[in-house]
Amino acid sequence: MKPVNDTRSPSRRELLDRVRDRATAALEPADAGSTPRHLIGRSTHMYRSGRARATGNTKALPSPPSAAIITLNRLGFGPRGNELANFNALPGSNDHQRLTNWVDQQLDPASIDDSTCDTRIASAGYTTLNKSLAQLWQDHIESSPPWQVRIQPYYEVERATLLRAVWSKRQLLELLTDFWHNHFNIYGPDSWAAPIWSHWDRAVIRGNALGNFRTMLGQVAQHPAMLYYLDNYTSSSAGPNENWARELFELHSLGTDHYMGVIRQNQVPTGPGGKPVAYVDDDVFEATRCFTGWTFDFDTGAFEYRADWHDHFQKTVLGTYIGANQPALSDGNVVLDEVAYHPGTARYISTKLATRLIGDNPDPSVIDAAAAVFEAEATAPDQLAQVVRTIVLHPSFLTTWGDKIKRPLELVASAMRAADGRFTFALDDDDTGTLLWRFDQAGQPLFGWRAPNGFPDHKDDWTSATPRVMGWRLMNWLIDVRNDSDVFRLNVIAQTPVGVRTANQLADFWISRVFGMAIPTEERHEIVEFMAQGHNPDFDLPLDTDEDTQDRLRSMVGLLLMSPSFLWR
Amino acid sequence: MRHPTRRGFVTGCSAAIAGMAGARFPSMAFADPEGTINNEIFVVVFLRGGMDGLNLVVPLSGVDRGHYATARPNIKVPLTGSDSALPLDGQFGFHRAAQPLHELYQDGNVAVVNATGLDEASRSHFDSMEFIERGTPGIKTTASGWLARHFLSAHNLPSEIVMPSVSVGNLQATSLLGDRNTINMSDPDSFNLQLGPWEWRDAQRVALRHMYSGDDTWLHRSGLQALDAMDIVELNVTGNYTPANGAVYPSGSFGDGLQVIAQMTKLDLGLRVSTLDLGGWDTHVNQGDDGAGYFGSLIGTLSEGLAALYTDLDGAGPNNYTNRLTMVVQSEFGRRLFENDDEGTDHGHANPMIVISGNAIGGVHGAWPGIGPGQLFDDADLAVTTDFRRVLSEILIRRMGNNHLGVVFPAYSDYQPLGIVNGTDLPPNYSGEIGGLFSDNFESGDTGAWTLTTP
Repeated sequence: MKPVNDTRSPSRRELLDRVRDRATAALEPADAGSTPRHLIGRSTHMYRSGRARATGNTKALPSPPSAAIITLNRLGFGPRGNELANFNALPGSNDHQRLTNWVDQQLDPASIDDSTCDTRIASAGYTTLNKSLAQLWQDHIESSPPWQVRIQPYYEVERATLLRAVWSKRQLLELLTDFWHNHFNIYGPDSWAAPIWSHWDRAVIRGNALGNFRTMLGQVAQHPAMLYYLDNYTSSSAGPNENWARELFELHSLGTDHYMGVIRQNQVPTGPGGKPVAYVDDDVFEATRCFTGWTFDFDTGAFEYRADWHDHFQKTVLGTYIGANQPALSDGNVVLDEVAYHPGTARYISTKLATRLIGDNPDPSVIDAAAAVFEAEATAPDQLAQVVRTIVLHPSFLTTWGDKIKRPLELVASAMRAADGRFTFALDDDDTGTLLWRFDQAGQPLFGWRAPNGFPDHKDDWTSATPRVMGWRLMNWLIDVRNDSDVFRLNVIAQTPVGVRTANQLADFWISRVFGMAIPTEERHEIVEFMAQGHNPDFDLPLDTDEDTQDRLRSMVGLLLMSPSFLWR
Repeated sequence: MRHPTRRGFVTGCSAAIAGMAGARFPSMAFADPEGTINNEIFVVVFLRGGMDGLNLVVPLSGVDRGHYATARPNIKVPLTGSDSALPLDGQFGFHRAAQPLHELYQDGNVAVVNATGLDEASRSHFDSMEFIERGTPGIKTTASGWLARHFLSAHNLPSEIVMPSVSVGNLQATSLLGDRNTINMSDPDSFNLQLGPWEWRDAQRVALRHMYSGDDTWLHRSGLQALDAMDIVELNVTGNYTPANGAVYPSGSFGDGLQVIAQMTKLDLGLRVSTLDLGGWDTHVNQGDDGAGYFGSLIGTLSEGLAALYTDLDGAGPNNYTNRLTMVVQSEFGRRLFENDDEGTDHGHANPMIVISGNAIGGVHGAWPGIGPGQLFDDADLAVTTDFRRVLSEILIRRMGNNHLGVVFPAYSDYQPLGIVNGTDLPPNYSGEIGGLFSDNFESGDTGAWTLTTP
């Protein structure tokens, strides 16, 4: 029996329109080319709160599985192939030593042969991933190309991100790239971000994910995508715009745990070195003045410092006095130094990283240890790698499980890795377009979070019905046939060995393949029951000849991917 | 009285789901011979990003018009011409694009409350939203939302409601955080597993329910919540929805979401609370000249949507939902009095709240603090004169009959009605205690839902 396809899959045309609608919502008129540039658009942030929450777990969580399973699920997008076995074969006499070896290799991504992934990316036919900023600007903005060409770099990064999540052996780099994209969130489909998205992804985010925070911050502050998104490109002494400076403090560095609101600077208590322990609104406004004149050239995309736009008077930021008439860029760079080296930033970034890498309620001692490294290595070129290493080698890493849930990206990538999904996300592939649309439905359109705080990380935000139902629905989409052919997206039948034909055998083979471990008895029982459908689970099923049985097995695999066990992190 | 559940429904449903596919769950009418059950429909619309309230509810007269016009030379809403403001009470007027809302106002169905906000001074979007939606200004770690605690403490709801609350969108509203009866959904038509081999989908659903019943962790509970939601929606939503009374919703996700709220309301499954967001209000640049442009188009979407929902729900007899309906529109803060050099506005403080109800006491309410020198908050922003909790508390008490303010808004202690909606006043109960009945916290909720934690 031939499976019935979802008839609601949008056409490629509809998908393009959809993204275009999102991207041009702010443009008036829609034709950007005919509007004076200084009047074009704004960041239409869809603000939504997404802060870590004080969820108390009232019932017992599952026992932590093996070190290999924890590591590959929390420091990457789930195990694939023989990766669990490879982890267990690493040198070392205990889990901690093997984890150390795995992490040290991952923190040196160049040492990992990633030719399989590279080949996949090469075969996908992307053309914009390695272009320079100037080239992207010329090819995708300045030459006034059609919309699909303008936005192509964003499309290609979306697809390459999925490919890498599924195929790259540098899993920790991929996970951290996702983390930093969200930390310095920009709405990707924005009409001025999309054409240069591959540079933002490659040079700023990916290039610094294991590097130095201050270095990354400096590149963020001068990138046209961010200058545009948070409006600093237009900020001048005559008309300062606070948007970038505010989010720099609130989201990128100190965080609101170190925000004391609308009080005066001299009312803030001081800590070590006489530095204020927190920022206040007046620091935001003073910092805004420091960044006046930080803009970019609309003809080339190059960062530009406009001395004639800069507020040259003296300022005070976080207790540091900045004299009048400083050299070009100095004021802004002092602010970046002040926030990057503030102890509050060390704690805030460490807390966010530990929440991502360990669990939603990380042990305070992890944060203490990571923050200490963050501060001590503040100028080290591998500062962030050292902070990550400190977090994941903390004893609580291997004893924490079930304090996080997979978000849609992690769910889909891990499902494809577990069940060996092999399709490539090409630019003009209708099926890929459908998948990306389904991410949107599930609440996680890639690079599509509008507000500058990035997708929420805490499980409370991902346990409501939309992400759950739409996440399950995505699993049934994965086991289905492609839009454009009768080829199944997951080759479930061919992967099932010849000797595996009873309901019990099929359940156990696929449980092992998907999870690499046993799952709770009641979950396995349901899988077997589903496959047996009331018959003896030790009877052979006509998998080789009966399409209905084949469909049932595909649906059984879908069910495994929808199970509680597949969602834990 | 316990927090409403839908255990009975779910139990019946799960056993029969495979056979019932396509069947419509019988409409639940809440017979209430003693008149003790509250049937109010409450819709909360949150404008994300900091809506520029001074350009929605515009000073039209007196010295404040002068202050306003001086502070906003480019973006002010004019007094004359095609973009001129729509007068409300002589002192204030709506933005021109709020025409549909103005018509509701003229019918006496809109209460505008000026200068509302947080007593906690924060110009952070994210903190301000947390403070408001959790109902605990200054505390962003409270483990539940204020609307969740309304359900927890309301003593006048039926013991079972199939669909007590709907949170439209990709993620559940923080105001409903902790309420696992909430149906979080964007589009009822795709809110199902109808992909993959069709002949095994129902069996998958049955197996899923069993798997997610296998333990009692937060993950299992959330899975059951999703399965319940999916069952309820799929069994009850049939065919295309046609709005009543010729109501036309604006295109886009906001109009779509409002239409979902209307559709869910008319299922008569007991819907009491709905939430929906409209974003895009963080207008630091190019807000639009003379009140037109970007901001105006957003106000148009907002007003057309609210009016469409009101029209759609306005019927006769059992279809008269507007006599039970109260909508409240709020944002995390307002914006500065002074426009910036980019013809935008930066983060400010106080803002109007808009209450639309068949039971509204129409008019402009709330003390107006003035916008002259010495009257502004921090020399820059409209000052707060009315705690946002006061507005919401009046709706809670007068419309929803819930006076447990100590549970819904812990630490709030000086409630007085403003007179924005009709209804019976009850003495506010500021006790955080809700009795041993709730010793299990939140009726199968996954958190100690109403427990407060301080940072």
